Amino acid sequence: MVGWEFPPFHTGGLGVHSQEISREIARLGHTVVFLTPFALPYDGAPGVTFRSPDDDTPVPPGYPSTYRIEEGARTGFLTVIERYNHWVGQLRLAGVNVVHVHDWFGTEGARDLAHRLNVPLVMTIHSTELDRSLGHPYTAIYDREKLGFEAATRIIAVSRHLADQVAQVYRADRRKIRVVYNAVRPPDEGPIVRREGGVVLFLGRLTAMKGPDTFLRAAARIAPQFPDVRFAIAGEGPEYAHLVRLSVQLGIGDRVLFFGKISDEERSAILRDAAVFVLPSVVEPFGIVALEAMAAGVPTIVSKTSGVAEVIRSTFQVDFWDVDEFASRMAELLEYAPLREEMSEHAQREATQEGWPDRARQTVEVYREAIREYREGR
Amino acid sequence: MKLALYLHMHQPWRLARFRYLDLGSGKPYFDIPRNLDIFRGIAERCYRPTLDRLIELLDRYPDFRFSLSLTGTFLEQAEMAAPDVLDRVRTAVKSERVALVAETYYHSLAFLLPPPELEEEVRLHLRKLREVFGVLPKVMRMTELVYSDAIAHFAGQLGFQGVLAEGWEGALGNRSPNYLYESRTRGVRVLLRNYRLSDDIAFRFSNRGWNEYPLTAEKYAHWLSQTPGDVVGLFMDFETFGEHQPASTGILDFLSALPPEIAKAPHFHWATVEEAVQGPVAGGVSVEEPMSWADERRDLGAWLGNDMQRSAFEAARKAGSLVRLGKDDAVWTDWRRLLTSDHFYYMYVEGQESDADVHRYFSSYTSPYDAYANYMNALNDLRRRAVRDLSPPT
Repeated sequence: MVGWEFPPFHTGGLGVHSQEISREIARLGHTVVFLTPFALPYDGAPGVTFRSPDDDTPVPPGYPSTYRIEEGARTGFLTVIERYNHWVGQLRLAGVNVVHVHDWFGTEGARDLAHRLNVPLVMTIHSTELDRSLGHPYTAIYDREKLGFEAATRIIAVSRHLADQVAQVYRADRRKIRVVYNAVRPPDEGPIVRREGGVVLFLGRLTAMKGPDTFLRAAARIAPQFPDVRFAIAGEGPEYAHLVRLSVQLGIGDRVLFFGKISDEERSAILRDAAVFVLPSVVEPFGIVALEAMAAGVPTIVSKTSGVAEVIRSTFQVDFWDVDEFASRMAELLEYAPLREEMSEHAQREATQEGWPDRARQTVEVYREAIREYREGR
Repeated sequence: MKLALYLHMHQPWRLARFRYLDLGSGKPYFDIPRNLDIFRGIAERCYRPTLDRLIELLDRYPDFRFSLSLTGTFLEQAEMAAPDVLDRVRTAVKSERVALVAETYYHSLAFLLPPPELEEEVRLHLRKLREVFGVLPKVMRMTELVYSDAIAHFAGQLGFQGVLAEGWEGALGNRSPNYLYESRTRGVRVLLRNYRLSDDIAFRFSNRGWNEYPLTAEKYAHWLSQTPGDVVGLFMDFETFGEHQPASTGILDFLSALPPEIAKAPHFHWATVEEAVQGPVAGGVSVEEPMSWADERRDLGAWLGNDMQRSAFEAARKAGSLVRLGKDDAVWTDWRRLLTSDHFYYMYVEGQESDADVHRYFSSYTSPYDAYANYMNALNDLRRRAVRDLSPPT
């Protein structure tokens, strides 16, 4: 597996997916060699081994901020990418049946490796550069995505929405795209009874793509009617200062809590404690965090275009631009207890119905298809 | 043996999206143009062609008879969207071989509300039927064919001769639905739906996975001839013909082919529900808990099965007390339109998957949560209006 980030050193769905899918594929009896540019103490699992370039690759500034290349870090960052790809491409490995690359980081090396080992390449796309840049892609990344889509025998997208984009915008061959959704581990504890009032939560990177300003604008619309409710923003990112200013401008400066970067432990506690979770993303290839919230029994409002909206029916789904509708949905969940309870119960069931073991089986099935086709194609 | 074909016509006033932020805005709750669009579509596919067939059958077969119920909200929409549908019903009624059935004007669960709501709604419906068709029904049905001893008692008090009910084993034990029964008090006649034979047409007709597919009029008449009893109640939604089952399935041709097949067997006679409730009674029937014709369990679970549904109905009941104190007709009408059972049906979540599919088919929302939140917003707005009406501005 040609990866990038891996827990506990991760920022998003890519890291979670890499870990869970590696662990479960290994549990099915396969051997997983996980390649990453950085030699770090990862949370591994039996049957999963890590390899990274022998030289001491410098960790790029701001690491593990993989989703946005900060100004000034570009040169260093791309040096890491180039070295990583070169290293992957010439790596000596025996007994490999399939090379599986995640996102754009290692596509070039993965392609060379698969070619040299004479095995098929599978590529999972978690999010695209086009989406992350809101339509203004960084060419070096975009090109590596295209390269991967073309070289892969099978492409796995984490939602149907993403699959459509890969086919339509990146012009990848639709016949080789499969959808394998993300999942969530069932929480250790059952649903907790929430007190009245409570917290409406946003959790994610503070970038325009995640729509945190929509969250604040919606909060401001209903804050006067719900004096006991607080609105919390957990996460960090380039929009932080802007959001603090915005909350003051909207007159809800005293009602919004900014948690900043949170630990995994804090994350699950905050999620479980929320009265309502909101995922107002402009672009959201999947949105594992919404699935986590639902698995914890928190009623959830998501953007219609998010991948998670394809899997879960027991949510409110809203157009990402519709501030009044987000506001109304928040208010309705805060106001009507039977609504909260019914939605919580059913969302929890839906969110945990299919887990990572199912996703691993679906992934292995894609490997089998790829191997069959690769052999026939020669 | 009597064959009582009874078809039910109903359309609810569906709500527009009424957001929490719309409270107090004066925005109307009901999306009139959308409701009328839906009505026109169904009129085109179902009401017109099916009524034309039925009128043709009345002309051609002097023995052919049937019965209809049309809710008040259906009649309102028909008057606005497709008055020619009502002309067709008038033509059928003029034959004097078509009986109309009384019910609550708003297709509501008013039997669960404090009096006099139920009686007022039934009387509203009777008045409307007299205005539109000049007819006074002798048989009553409750919304969704709900039946209980109390409902039969109520029907008796209002002077109805008979009530329609589901021929469900839960109420009959091992007795057959194909006889006429009598209610526990007041001796009101209870005419039962044979749900197997009714659902063969209403649900299974176009099901290619059904081992009796395709169903022909000949085969169906043969089944009827094998059925022992005095009377068979074939009760179903009018929309079975052309809407739930599109014309392309052959359902309309099946309807047209049925009377000639029935005519071949000399012991069969079509009967209106008014004719069918005359005749010897096979015994008494007692139903304490309300029994409906919906879902696998035949209880009220389809409308009041989960906490959202129960809390919404409870909220409607409470709002009713305020509405009754006030004098504003518009508030009163809106409240009653919100009583229509369909609104609660849309909030259904649990249940067997087969039922959930049926619920989704009939729902005008993407989810039961949408349905509930929207309903509660409208109802809370209505409460505000009712209260404003009570306290004059100073």
